[in-house]
Amino acid sequence: MELLKKYPKLFQWLFLLAVFFSLCFAIDVPETYKFIRGQAEFVKDPNQSTYTLFGKEVRYYAFDNFWRLPPLLGWLPIWINDSLFFLLNEWMPIEFWDSSIQEYKTRPLVLQITRNITSFMTFLIEFIREILLGGVETVVAFTSWNFVSSYPWAKLPGLPWTIVAAGAAILGYKLSGKGLSIFAGLVMVYISVFGQWKPSMQTLSFILVAAPLSFAFGLSLGIMAYKSKRVERALYPILLVMQTMPQYAVLVPAMVLFGIGDHAAVIITMVVAIPPMILLTLLGLRGVSPEVIEAGKMSGCNNWQLMFEVLIPTARRDILIGVNQVIMVCFSMAVISAFIGAKGLGWNLLLALNQLNIGLALEAGLCISLIAILLDKMSLAWANKQTDYFGNLTFFQRYKNTIFFGGAVLIGAILAFAGSFFFKEGFNYLFEVPHNKGISTADFWNKGVDWVWDTFFQTLKIFNTWLITEVLQPMRAMYLRMPAVATLVLVVGAGYIIGGIRSAFTVGGLALFIALSPWWDRALVTTYMATFGVIASCIIGSIVGTLCQQNKYTTNFMLAVCDIFQTFPSFVYLIPVMMLFGVTDTSVLIAVIVYATIPATRYTIEGLRSVPPALHDAATMSGVTKLQRLFKIEFPLAFPHMMLGLNQTIVFALFMVIIGAFIGTEDLGQYILKALSDKKGGGKGLVLGICVAFIGLIFDNLIRTWVEKRKKHLGID
Amino acid sequence: MIQQDKYLNKLKKLPEPVRQFGGLVTITVFIILSFGILNIYWGGGDELIRKMKIEEERIEKERKVNEVISSLPSGILVFFDGTDHYRLSKEQYEAVCNITKLIPQRAIMAAHFLNYEAYELYTINGNKIDDTFVKWDEEKNKCFAGYTVSGSNVGVNKAANINGEVLSFLSTGIDTRVYFIKNF
Repeated sequence: MELLKKYPKLFQWLFLLAVFFSLCFAIDVPETYKFIRGQAEFVKDPNQSTYTLFGKEVRYYAFDNFWRLPPLLGWLPIWINDSLFFLLNEWMPIEFWDSSIQEYKTRPLVLQITRNITSFMTFLIEFIREILLGGVETVVAFTSWNFVSSYPWAKLPGLPWTIVAAGAAILGYKLSGKGLSIFAGLVMVYISVFGQWKPSMQTLSFILVAAPLSFAFGLSLGIMAYKSKRVERALYPILLVMQTMPQYAVLVPAMVLFGIGDHAAVIITMVVAIPPMILLTLLGLRGVSPEVIEAGKMSGCNNWQLMFEVLIPTARRDILIGVNQVIMVCFSMAVISAFIGAKGLGWNLLLALNQLNIGLALEAGLCISLIAILLDKMSLAWANKQTDYFGNLTFFQRYKNTIFFGGAVLIGAILAFAGSFFFKEGFNYLFEVPHNKGISTADFWNKGVDWVWDTFFQTLKIFNTWLITEVLQPMRAMYLRMPAVATLVLVVGAGYIIGGIRSAFTVGGLALFIALSPWWDRALVTTYMATFGVIASCIIGSIVGTLCQQNKYTTNFMLAVCDIFQTFPSFVYLIPVMMLFGVTDTSVLIAVIVYATIPATRYTIEGLRSVPPALHDAATMSGVTKLQRLFKIEFPLAFPHMMLGLNQTIVFALFMVIIGAFIGTEDLGQYILKALSDKKGGGKGLVLGICVAFIGLIFDNLIRTWVEKRKKHLGID
Repeated sequence: MIQQDKYLNKLKKLPEPVRQFGGLVTITVFIILSFGILNIYWGGGDELIRKMKIEEERIEKERKVNEVISSLPSGILVFFDGTDHYRLSKEQYEAVCNITKLIPQRAIMAAHFLNYEAYELYTINGNKIDDTFVKWDEEKNKCFAGYTVSGSNVGVNKAANINGEVLSFLSTGIDTRVYFIKNF
C-alpha cells in the first residue's frame, strides 16, 4: 500500500499493461479471421451477418465481439450518401428562372444553391486566370467578344513574364529588402524559363480565389466566435476535427456536392483553410490586452470601431500569420485537389507521378515549393512589417517602388515587342515561354533515377526486403493481433491515468467510434504506419534538434531548413522517395519519416530554447557537465514543449500516411482514394476522414492533457 | 440509506492514489463487461467459424480442381493404353472423375447408340436429360456416369436410365467433361 501511495501512476500503468497483455494473450485470433475479411466492405457474401438500422441494411462478419466489434456504425456512410442524394435530388423543389432557355425550371433547392456557388466560383477563377494569363481574354471577361471585334485596340497582349518577375522582385524588396527581392525575382525567372508559367498561373489563380475567400470567412467566423461563446462552442468541435482531418477525405463529399473541377477545388480548399484562420483570429483577438480594449472604450469607440479600429489592428500580426497559414494550406490543396480535376502545377505533378516520370514531377514539385516558399516569406514579411507613420520622406523615397515598377513595365513591354521581331518564327520567349517549351531538366533527373537504380538496386532491394519482412510486417501483425477489447481498455485506461475520467470518456468515445465503424482493421494499419513514422521521426528529430541547439548558428540554420521543408506541399515528399524506393510501403514510410521529422526537430530545438537561461547558468555554476545539464535539467524542463512537437509529429505522420495511399498502402487512405472514384463514395470518404481525425484527436487529447499537467507540475505554465 | 452514506464516506476517505487505482480497475471491468454483454447480442463467432470453414473447404476444393485442370492438356483424356490421347495416371483419373460434372450431348448421343428407347425419348422431349451423375466407385476403382431421360415434359409416361463406365474425358482447358460412356 505504501508503494502504491509512493508511485501511484507507475502502479496504474503496470496494471493497465498487465490487463492489456492478458487480454491480448487470452483472446485467440478467430480461426477464420483474415485481415482482408475483417472489413464489412459492403459486398455480398453468404457468410456475412446482417442487421438493419434506420432502414439501412449493413453486412458484416460476426466475429467474437471481444476480438472485433460489429460495425454498428456501418449505416452511417450509407445514410450520409442517401441524405446527400435526397438533398440534391428531391428536397424542396423550387422553380428557378433559367436564362439560357428563357423558361422556369424546377430544381431542388440545394442543387440550385450548389450550382450557383459553382458558377460563381468558376467565374472568379476564369476571371483571375484570364487576368494572369492575359490580354484579350481579360477584356472579354469584362466585356464580350463582340466588344473586342468592334474595338481592335482592346486586343491587348498578356503581361510578359519579365514584368511579373520584376514586379515580384520589387514587391519582395518593399516587404523585406534585398534578400527576398532577389529570391522573388529568381523564382519568377525559374518558373518562366522552365516553361511552367501557364500551370503556375493556373495554380495561382485558384489560390487567389481560395485564399481571400478563406481569409474573409475565417476572419468573420473568428470575430463571431470571439464575440459569442455560443458560436465558439459550436465551432470548437468542427475546428478540432478539421485540424486532424486529412485533406484527402474532404475531397469526396465536396465532389458529390459540387462536382469536379477548379470550382470544387476552391470550395474544398476553403473548407480546409478556414479553420486555421478562425483559430489564429481568435488567438490574436484574445491576446489583445484589456488595457488596449479599455483605452478604446474610453476613447468613445462603438462596438464596430472597437473591433475594426482597435482589436483587429492590434491583433494584426496573428491575423496575418493566419493569412500565411491560409496560403500554405491553399498550396498544399493545390496538389491534392488535382485528384478532382483542378488544373495547374498540381495536375502536372500528379500526371508525371502517374507516368512515373520523376524528372517532370520534380520540376513541377520544385515549382510549387518555390512559389509556396516565396508567398510564405512574403506574407510573413507583410505580417512583421511595421508601418512608418513618422518618416519624413521625399517624393522619390515614398514612391520609389511604384516608379521602379513603372520602369519595369516599360522595359518589359519594349523587350516583349523587340522579341516579336527577334523570334519571328515560333514563340516569343521574351513574352511567354510556353508550357513544355522551356528549359527542362527532366531528362537529367530521369537519367539520375536510372543511375541510382542501376547502381544501388541490390542495396536498395536488400534494405527494402529487410525493412518489410523484419520490421514492418511483424509490426503490422502485432497491431492487427490486438483484440478490440484490449485496445479499448488501453486507450481508455491511458486517458484515465493521464487526464482523469473526463479524458478517459473523450478518448474512449473517439476510439469506440472507430471500433464501431467498418474500418477498424484499416485504422489499426494506419496507426501502425503512423507509429513507425513517429518513432523514427522522434528519434531523428530529437537527436538532430539537440545537436543543432548546441550552437546559435546551427540552431538558426536548422530552423530555417525546417521552415522551408514545412512549406513544401506534402505531396512533393513522395517524389524523391519514389525515385529511390519505387512504389512500395517503404517509400511511404520514408516520406512519413521525412515529413514528420520537421516538427520533431523544430519542437526539440524550441523546447530546449525555452529553458530559462538563468537555470542554464545556475547549472553551469554548480559545476555540472554538459551532458548532466542536458539530461538532468534541459530535457526534463523542455519535455512538455517537446511533447507538443510529438503531437504535431503524429498529425504530420497521419497526413502523410493517408497521402501515401497514392503509392499504394492498405490503410484508411487507400479507402479514401477508392471512395474518390466511387459514385456513392461521399459518405464513406467522410466517415473514413473522421476516423483518421479521431486517431489524431486521441493522441492529441492524451498529449495535451499530459503536457498541461506536467507544465503545472514543473511550474512553467 | 445511512448504510449507503457510511460506505460513501468510507470511500471518500480513502487516499487519493487508492481511489484512482480503484477507478482504473472499475473502468477496466466496466469495459470488459460491456463487451461481454455486446457479445450476447451481436457476437457470432462460432456460427461464423462454421460458415467460414465450409467456405474455406469449398475454396480449397475449387483451388485443387483448378490445379488439376490446369495440369492437363486440352483434348481427349483416357486412362488405358492403346490410344494417341493423353493418358491419365491413376491419381489423375480419380481426380478428373471427381471434378467432372458435365455430360455433353456428344457423350449422350454415343450412349444412345445402343439404347434406342432412350434415343427416342431424348428426341421427343427436346434433348432434355435429368439426374445426371459422375462418380468414382471406390470398390471397382473406376469412374461411372449416368443420367435419366424421360418424356414427362411432353406427356409421355416413360423414362430410361443410362449409366456406364466413363472411358474417356474431354479437357477444354477450363473444365473437364465426360467424353464417352460405355453402356454395354
